[in-house]
Amino acid sequence: MAFVWHLVILIGTWLPGALTYTMIFGKGKILHFGPLGVSLMTSYATFLTLGATGSYPIAVLTGLGSAIAISAVFAWLSLRLEPDGFGIMSIAVHLSVLSVVLNWSSLTRGALGIPRLPRAPFPASQEGFALVMVVMCIVWVLGMWLLDRSSFGRKIAALAEHEWHSAALGVSRARVHFLAFMVGALGALFGTLPYHHYIGLLHPNDYQFPGLIFFVMLVVAGKPGSVFGVTISTILLVLLKELLRFVPLPPDILGPVRLILFGVILFAAVWYRRDTLFPKQRTV
Amino acid sequence: MSLLSTSHLSLSIGEHRILSDISFSVDSGEIIGLIGPNGSGKTTLFNVLSGFLKPSTGTIHLHGEDITTLSPAKRARFGIGRVFQNFGIFRDMTLFENVLVALEALSKEERALKGDLRKVSMETLEMVGLQSHAHTKAGSLSGGQMRLLEIARTLMSGKELFLLDEPTAGVSPKLTQQVADLILQLKKQGKTVLVVEHDLPFIGRICDRVIVMDVGKVVLTGKPNEVKQSKGLRELYFGADPTT
Ligand SMILES: Nc1ncnc2c1ncn2[C@@H]1O[C@H](COP(=O)(O)OP(=O)(O)OP(=O)(O)O)[C@@H](O)[C@H]1O
Ligand SMILES: [Mg+2]
Repeated sequence: MAFVWHLVILIGTWLPGALTYTMIFGKGKILHFGPLGVSLMTSYATFLTLGATGSYPIAVLTGLGSAIAISAVFAWLSLRLEPDGFGIMSIAVHLSVLSVVLNWSSLTRGALGIPRLPRAPFPASQEGFALVMVVMCIVWVLGMWLLDRSSFGRKIAALAEHEWHSAALGVSRARVHFLAFMVGALGALFGTLPYHHYIGLLHPNDYQFPGLIFFVMLVVAGKPGSVFGVTISTILLVLLKELLRFVPLPPDILGPVRLILFGVILFAAVWYRRDTLFPKQRTV
Repeated sequence: MSLLSTSHLSLSIGEHRILSDISFSVDSGEIIGLIGPNGSGKTTLFNVLSGFLKPSTGTIHLHGEDITTLSPAKRARFGIGRVFQNFGIFRDMTLFENVLVALEALSKEERALKGDLRKVSMETLEMVGLQSHAHTKAGSLSGGQMRLLEIARTLMSGKELFLLDEPTAGVSPKLTQQVADLILQLKKQGKTVLVVEHDLPFIGRICDRVIVMDVGKVVLTGKPNEVKQSKGLRELYFGADPTT
C-alpha cells in the first residue's frame, strides 16, 4: 500500500507543472522549453531560504517571488523574440540557471545537492501527504479546466492560431502571455515543493534534460492543450516511469533503456500528431 | 470633425516604396470606397491604419488623437474594426467562440454595455443565419459563410470605424446584397466604414465617396458617379479606353 501512496504522491508532483505547461506550450503554442528552469529556480530559492531563515512562510514567499520573476522574464522574452528564437532562448535560460546552481557551490553545494530537507510541516504520515496531494490535484485539474474554458482560454487559443487576427479584435498578446506564464509559475511552485519535501533531497539532476523531455512528452502524448488528456497521460507515464524501476536490469543499463523508451514514446506521439502539434500559421 | 485623418503617410519596405504621401480624411458616418488595381496598396494601407505596419513617415489621427504609434490591439479597443481580405476567423475554434472571443476583447465599458456576451454571440450568428452551425469549427465553413461570420462578428463588436477588405469577394449575389444591407445598417447607426472592393456597382450602391489608389498613391477622390465617369479610372481598371 505504501507503494501506491508513493505513486500517488509522485503523480501529484508532476501534475500541476504538466497542466500549466500544456496551457502555455500546448494550447498557446508558445515554444517554451523552460518550465524546468522555473521549477529549478523556485525550489532552490525556497529551500536555501528555508535553510538560512528557518521560516517556512518566508521560504515559500521567496520561492513564489522567484517563480514569478523568472516567469516574467520568460514572458517578456516570448513577446520580444520570434517563436523559434524564443524556443532556443528558453533552453538557454534553463541551462544558465542550472549552471549557476551547479557552480555556485558555496551556496548550493553544486552537484551534491541539498540533502535532509525538513519534512513538510503537515501532514506527518505518508497517507496524509498522499491525500493532500490528491485533493490538490483535483483542485488543479478543475481550476485549469475552468481556465481553459474561460475568456483567457479563448484568447490564448486565438493568439495561437493567428496573431494579427487576434490583435485586430483587441486581444492583448502581452497580457495573455504574462498571465499564462504566471499560471506556469504557480504550477512550478505547487509541483516542485511537495516533491522535494517528499524525497527529502534537492538535487540538480532532477532538472537536467531528461526531465524536460518528460515534460514535453506528457503534453504531446496527452494531446497538447487538453486538460483531461494531459491529466491522463501524466498518470500513465509517471506510473510507467516508476514501474520501470522493477525491470530486472542493472542500474547502468536501466537508465539508458528508460531514456530510449521515452524517446520512442515521444517520437510516436509527435508522429501521430504531426499535423496538429504546430499547425502552419496562415499568414495571409 | 473628421473621425479619421491621415497626413502624408508613406511606407517603404526595403527598397520598395509601397505607399507614398497618402493624405485623406473621413467624416463620422461616411461610407468610403477604396478602389484601385491589384497591388496598388489598399491592403497595405489598411495594415498601416490598423497598426500592423509602421508608416515610414506621416501620422494617423482617430477622434483627433494621434494613434500612429499605438499597437494594433490598442487601436482595436480604441474603435477600429477590421475584416481581412483572407478571412480573419479562427478555424480551430467554433463559430460561437469566434464571436465570443471578439466580444470578450472589447474594453470593459463596451462589455458592460453589451450585457450577456454569450447571448449576444448567439444573436450575432442568428443575424447571418449561421446559428445552426454555432458549435462546429469555423474551418468547416464555406468561403462565403466565413465572410459572413467575420463581417457579423466585426459589426457586432461596437466599433466606430470599420476597415472592410473585400468583404464580398467570393460571395454569391444574394449574400452580397446581405453584406450591402449590413453595411448600410452601420451607416444608420452613425458608424464609419472604409471598404475595399473590386465590385464597382457594389461600391456605387453603398458609398458616399470613393478614393482611388494606384501604385501606392491616391490618384482620385470624389462621389461614386463622378469617379465612375472619369477617364482615369477606366484606364486603370479596364486598360486603355477603345472609344478615345
Ligand atoms: N511585406 C511586404 N513586403 C514587400 N512588399 C509588400 C509587402 N506587403 C505588400 N507588398 C507589396 O505592396 C504592393 C501592394 O500590396 P497590397 O496587398 O496592399 O495590394 P492591394 O491593393 O490590396 O491588392 P489586391 O487588390 O490584389 O488585394 C504589392 O506590390 C505587394 O507586393
Ligand atoms: Mg488587398
